[in-house]
Amino acid sequence: MTLPAITAAIFLHPTMLFWASAAAVPIVIHLLSRRKHREVYWAAMQYLLAAVRKNSRRIQVEQWILLALRTAAIALAVLAVAQPGCDHSGLGPGGNDRTHKMLVVDSSFSMGYKPTDKSRFDRAKELAARIVDESNQGDGFTLLVLANPPRVVVGTPAFERRDFLEEIENLKLWHGGANLPATLAQAEEVLTRAARENPRLVRHEIYFLTDLGRNTWSAEGEGAAAAEFRQRTARLAREAQLLVLDLGQADSENTAVVDLQTTDPLTTVGHELTIEGTLRNFGHASRERQLVELFIDGHKTGQDYVDLPPGGQASVTFPYRFDAPGDHGIELRLASDLLPLDNHRWLAASTKDQLRVLCVTGNPDGRFHGSTDYLAVALAPNRKAPERSLVQPQVVPESALLEVELSNYDCVFLANVGQFTGSEAQAMASYLKHGGGIVCFLGDQVQADSYNRRLSGRSSDGSKVLPATIANLGPQGSYHFDPLNYQHPLLNVFRDQEQAGLITTPIARYFKLEVPPDSAAHVAMAFDNGDPAIVEEPIGRGRSILLATSADTSWSAMPLWPSFPPLVHELLSLAIRGKTAEQNIVVGQLLGDSFRGQAGQGSLSLRLPSGDAAQARVAADGEYTSWSFADTGQSGMYVAHLPPPYTRDELFAVNVDTSESDLARLDPAELRDSVWNGVDFVLRTDWQDLNAPSVDTVVRRQWLHIYLLTAVVALLLIESVLAMYFGRRAA
Amino acid sequence: METYQKYLNPQTLASLQGLELRARLIVEGYVSGVHRSPYHGFSIEFAEHREYVPGDDLRYVDWKVFGKTDKVYLKQYEEETNLVGYMLLDTSESMRYKSDAAALSKLEYAQCVAGSLAYLILQQQDSVGLVTFDNEVRALLRATSNPSHLKQILQVMEETVPERKTNTGPIFHDLAERLKKRGIVIILSDLFDDVNAMLAGLKHFRHRRHEVILFHVLDPAELDFPFDRVTLFKGLEQLPEVLADPRSLRKAYLEEFRAFQKQVRLGCRAQGIDYIEMRTDQPLDLALSSYLAHRMARSK
Repeated sequence: MTLPAITAAIFLHPTMLFWASAAAVPIVIHLLSRRKHREVYWAAMQYLLAAVRKNSRRIQVEQWILLALRTAAIALAVLAVAQPGCDHSGLGPGGNDRTHKMLVVDSSFSMGYKPTDKSRFDRAKELAARIVDESNQGDGFTLLVLANPPRVVVGTPAFERRDFLEEIENLKLWHGGANLPATLAQAEEVLTRAARENPRLVRHEIYFLTDLGRNTWSAEGEGAAAAEFRQRTARLAREAQLLVLDLGQADSENTAVVDLQTTDPLTTVGHELTIEGTLRNFGHASRERQLVELFIDGHKTGQDYVDLPPGGQASVTFPYRFDAPGDHGIELRLASDLLPLDNHRWLAASTKDQLRVLCVTGNPDGRFHGSTDYLAVALAPNRKAPERSLVQPQVVPESALLEVELSNYDCVFLANVGQFTGSEAQAMASYLKHGGGIVCFLGDQVQADSYNRRLSGRSSDGSKVLPATIANLGPQGSYHFDPLNYQHPLLNVFRDQEQAGLITTPIARYFKLEVPPDSAAHVAMAFDNGDPAIVEEPIGRGRSILLATSADTSWSAMPLWPSFPPLVHELLSLAIRGKTAEQNIVVGQLLGDSFRGQAGQGSLSLRLPSGDAAQARVAADGEYTSWSFADTGQSGMYVAHLPPPYTRDELFAVNVDTSESDLARLDPAELRDSVWNGVDFVLRTDWQDLNAPSVDTVVRRQWLHIYLLTAVVALLLIESVLAMYFGRRAA
Repeated sequence: METYQKYLNPQTLASLQGLELRARLIVEGYVSGVHRSPYHGFSIEFAEHREYVPGDDLRYVDWKVFGKTDKVYLKQYEEETNLVGYMLLDTSESMRYKSDAAALSKLEYAQCVAGSLAYLILQQQDSVGLVTFDNEVRALLRATSNPSHLKQILQVMEETVPERKTNTGPIFHDLAERLKKRGIVIILSDLFDDVNAMLAGLKHFRHRRHEVILFHVLDPAELDFPFDRVTLFKGLEQLPEVLADPRSLRKAYLEEFRAFQKQVRLGCRAQGIDYIEMRTDQPLDLALSSYLAHRMARSK
């Protein structure tokens, strides 16, 4: 490290140190005054000589003392102006050496908390602009957004302040959470690149403008992720000065709508469903008679009042019946508070006249006991008036699988299908990829090799249809289901419903299923010997469910058991949930869908919650056209206008991740002792009042320069008193 | 008559040229300031009457005679001629010092005092003589009561050039021997010399039964030391120079100087010598008052 670099590291304004030469001024003045003296002839010389003889030593000592005080006062004043201690202080320009200042603005939605007329995010932007304004000429700036996912707004040091300030001004609050580890990874990349490409920027400073939300700052992960987080932070601290500017407030109150759903995902016209919302009080004060309003397609359709105890939650339910098919937007509003973002929650519900389900059977023998017969009855029990049923099942033999257009069906049930061709596998894989649901029952005709080769993702084209591979056929026996404590949503309806008979269902035979390690598949239900009974996995935009046993009575009595109809309905609900889930995402997730056919244009028009229009990227994917939209930083309803020949609009609800609604803050001591333990950083909490004059000051830099200025004043006072005392003694 | 009083002010005197003029104006100024002339009636004795003629001062009319004879006679006084005044004027180099606050140098001031005293003494028909000295006697004018002697005294003083050291002790001893006729010795000096030797010289005067009046002529700067900037003090009378910050030395200097004054004052008191400190920024009537007071006391 060169001397200038060391000086720059110690002093805020190292060039001011040149004024230290001014400390010689008192000595020069003293010498000049002796040179530029007046001359007088003096008669009473012998008395003056006697006085000099007796007092010269004292006078000399006094002069030295006064000179030392004056010199020290000037030297300390220069030191104060140079502002030492920059590495342990806080904010402000980093001396004359060019500095790379990386501004990391927390954009998690808790920054939308508005304790005054300005939100924390507004203050962060103001403070960021102020840091830029108060920086030295030649400093370079980069800008990152602490969000999930993190966003690099300006990745290479910008030197044009006006443009950079415009970027700051254009920052919009991200309605999602924040991913600190990922943001630090981005910050390290930006820092490394800036150091490599801009060697003139000899100093690096990273400013975190944040409310120190516990959700963000204590989420360093576990195990290897936590170690990586700590190592990365330590590397950053070595390469740059880390400054955390705390914009949060203690004891912030907040209420939020944390959940909104329909009790039945099968939303059809004319059937009453229940809309259920969950509201939570994250604060310490009780909230009573909080108004909750329900809006359907923008029209208020109901309201209720809830009491929210501190830390508690409450639910509201509204019955509703859709009169028309299509997508409907549901919004639940809670009385506004200082963080209004999470007081709304949206739900996009796709309503159809009927759900169309394709049942593909492997043994259509004409008798009732075929593989899909029980399924069809379970799906549409009202065989006398099938048009009034929620579900409209259509049974086809396995040979017709390629003849039907799968995209016309909401779900496909496979029952005891012996084997699949590559084309069939591809058709089903494509169907899943674009949001279809597949429920697969096995049976005695099933050729496990064909299943595993064609449907498990091992084929040459990588088509994956099933969540598990099929091992050997288990021995004949007496098995029962183990609901695994009803953990999986599929079995929620059976919780505390012993009489439904799920766990008493006798199973005689089944295929052993093997769930590949590291897959996203879940075992929803097992047999009492621990073997998987139902395995499900989201695949593409859809979901696939594999059952180890048959849908007919050859291997089990399940189709005859009272639990079968509800189980089939739950399987259907789960299978088509892929589509529903796709319409209801949280901020930051990719928005998208696909439709059969080729779009006539290269983009798809979207209407954002703000009312602005946007274009989604469209890509051809075989017979389908997929579109996606990544900029889902704002919560609310997104409307996709499908191109011709489709004339309908699709609704998508993007909601905040309410883990951010908990405004608990990380204690600064915890940050120092736990999260960033051993990392050299500066935490500043005195920037909340942006109207206060900049210290540069002030205040900044651990007040060292204030102490120095105090010492200067003290020295000047001492000098004055001593000079007066010496003068009085001499006069 | 009022206008004469301004000539007691050194500032005014400094604007006048000629020691004679200065001396006369000082005395006139002084006399005009008193209601009753302090020297009428004690320096001369009654001799005879003479008839009044117009223009005579009515104060000398003998009203008793007028009451008895209805004739106006004036009292005639006989001069007393037994007083001899010796003025010893220090003309050493230190006497030429003049600060910014003073209008006259110490020598000029002493010359004015000496001149006015000579004028006054001669007006009273007393005798006056003059001695100028530095490290030796430079001029010595014998005492006489001849009014024309004033011009000679003034001329000697005006021709004096102050350029040598003082050596008061031996000189006073020498003069004590040389001034035979007993009289009043009036010394005008800054006395910047060996104090003990000087006091010994004064004692010699007293031993010779002379009355001594010591006018200690000092510049206000020497008494107050008012300097506030670093100053190079160049010593007169061959003393070295000193560069000093006067503010840090003021107190010490004044202590030294006041000790010197005190020693002189105590020495004079011990020998019955009138010590009068004269600042050169003060009016000059102090000298005349002091002399006349001393003269009056002596006449009693």
